[in-house]
Amino acid sequence: MAKNLHTDNAPAISTVKPHFLFAAIGLLVLGILMVLSSSRFLGIYYDHRLLAVTHTAVLGWLMMLIFGSLYQLIPVIFDTALYSEKLAKFTFWLTAGSIIFLVYTFWIGDYTDLLPYAATSMYLSLFFFIFNIMMSYKNARIKNFKSLFILAAVFWLLMTETEGLLTALNFKYNFYTASHLMHMHNHVVMGLVGFFVMMIFGVGTTLIPMFLISHRLNEKLLTYSFVFLNAGLTGLMLTKYIFENRYLIFFFWLVIIVGIIYYFRYIYDSYKHRMKKTLDVGMKYTMLSLVFISIPVLISLWLIILPETGLKSYGEIIMLLFGMSMIFGFFTTIALGQTYKTLPFIIWLEKYQKLVGKYHTPLPRELYNERVAGMQFYLYMLFLLLSFIGLILQSILIIQIGTILFLLVAMLYNYNVWLMFFHNSDKFINERDKEILKNNKKNSKY
Amino acid sequence: MKKDMKEIRKVENDIYELLKTVMDPEIELDIINLGLVYNILYDGENKVRIEMTLSTPACPLGDAITDNVKNTIKKKYPDFDVEVDVVFDPPWDASMISEEGRKKLGM
Repeated sequence: MAKNLHTDNAPAISTVKPHFLFAAIGLLVLGILMVLSSSRFLGIYYDHRLLAVTHTAVLGWLMMLIFGSLYQLIPVIFDTALYSEKLAKFTFWLTAGSIIFLVYTFWIGDYTDLLPYAATSMYLSLFFFIFNIMMSYKNARIKNFKSLFILAAVFWLLMTETEGLLTALNFKYNFYTASHLMHMHNHVVMGLVGFFVMMIFGVGTTLIPMFLISHRLNEKLLTYSFVFLNAGLTGLMLTKYIFENRYLIFFFWLVIIVGIIYYFRYIYDSYKHRMKKTLDVGMKYTMLSLVFISIPVLISLWLIILPETGLKSYGEIIMLLFGMSMIFGFFTTIALGQTYKTLPFIIWLEKYQKLVGKYHTPLPRELYNERVAGMQFYLYMLFLLLSFIGLILQSILIIQIGTILFLLVAMLYNYNVWLMFFHNSDKFINERDKEILKNNKKNSKY
Repeated sequence: MKKDMKEIRKVENDIYELLKTVMDPEIELDIINLGLVYNILYDGENKVRIEMTLSTPACPLGDAITDNVKNTIKKKYPDFDVEVDVVFDPPWDASMISEEGRKKLGM
C-alpha cells in the first residue's frame, strides 16, 4: 500500500481555491487602481491613493495567494494536516472583507473615522491565520530550517500587523511620540522583509528544488540564510526603535543582505544541478524574480547612504523605486510564476486524480493557455522596465504606459486563472478520445 | 491456477510496458524511464505488487501517480489485486533515469 504520501493530509480544495480566485481579482483591481493613480507616482510615496495601491498589492493580491498556497503546502513542509480548515475558511472571509474595507479607507483617505476599524478587522483576520499556522507547526513531523522560515515569517507578520494597527490607531488617538513616518518605515520593513521575503524563501526552499528536480543540496546554506536574515532584522528593528544609529542600521542591513546571498547561493546550486533543463513559464518567472531581488537590495543600500551623497532630494523617488522593485520586481514576479506551478496541479488533482489511468487525461500545464502565459510574461517584463525608466526619468507618460501594460498583464493572468477554474474534465476527455480515435483511423489508412 | 515462471515473466514484462504510459505530470516523463519503478512482482495468480518511489518524498502528486499505476494495470487486468508500495530507500536520483529518458528531458 502507498505510504508516507503527503496528499493524505492535503486540505479540501474548497479551502484553497477561494484564495487563488480572490488574488486573481485582487491583481485586476490593482491594475485598475494603478491606472487611476498613475499621475501620483511621482508625488509623495505615502499619498493615500498610493497606500491603497500598495495594500491592494500586498494584501489583496500577494498575501491571499500566499495563504492559499501555504494551506496547500503545510502537509508538504510540516508533514501534518492544517490545524483547522474551518478556521481557514472563516479567516478567508474575514480577511477578504477586511482587505476591501482597508483599501477603500485608504482610497478615500479617511484616517480617523474608518481606518482604526479597518485596521482592527485586518489585525483580527491575520491573527487567526497566524494561530492556525502556529498550531499546525505544533503538530509538525518535520521541524527543520525550511519550516522555521515559515514560523519566522508568521512571527514577523504579527509584528508588522501590530505596528500597522498601532499606527492606524494613532491617527485617531495620537499617542506616539516618534514620527508617523518612522513607524510606517518599520511596518514596511517588517512586512516586506520579515513576512514576505521570509515566507517566499521558506516556501521556495521546498518548491524550487522540487520543480527543478535537484537533489543533495547543501542545507547548511539555508541555516546560514535563516540566521543572518533574522539576526539582521531583529538588530535592525531594535536599533530603529531604541536608538536611531545610522551606522548600526547600515550594519544590520548588511547582515540581512548576507542572509539573502546565502539563500541565493542555495537556489543557484539547485538551478545548476537541475534535472529539468528547459524552464517552463512558471520557472522562468521564479528564477528571474530571484535575480530581481538584487535591485531592492542595492536600492536599500543607496537609501541608507543617501544623506552622504547629496542626493537627498531624490529620497521620495528612491523610496518608490525600492517599494516597486520589492513588490513588483521580486514578489509579484515570483507570485505570477508560482501560480502556473501550483494552481494547475491543484485543479488537476481535483479533476483528474480519480480518472488517471482510466482515460486519456491532460497534463496540468494543458489546463491553461501557454501562449497567453508567455505573452503575459513578456508584457510583464516590459511593464517592469517602463516603470523603472519612468520613475528614474520622472516621466508620467512612461509610468502611465507601464500601468496600462500592468492592467493587460492582470487581464491575461485572470484569463488563465478562470480557464483553470472552469476547466471541464468531461468535455476534455471526450474531445481527447475523439482526437485519438481520429488519429488511429488516419494511421490505419497508411 | 498458478502460472509457470515463463508466464509470470511475460505478465511482468507486459506490466512494465504498460507502466511506460504512466507519466509523472510535473516532469512529463513516464515512471519507467524516470527510474521510479524498482520492482514488479506477479505471484502467478491475481496479485501484483509494484515497488516504486517518487522523485521527492514531498511530491504532492504522489497519490495521483500511484492511482494511475493501479488504474493502468487494472484496465488491462481487471481481476488483478494491485498493490503499490512506495519506498524511499534507496532514494531516487537523476542517475536512475534511462538513456531514453535523458534524451527526452534534454539532459
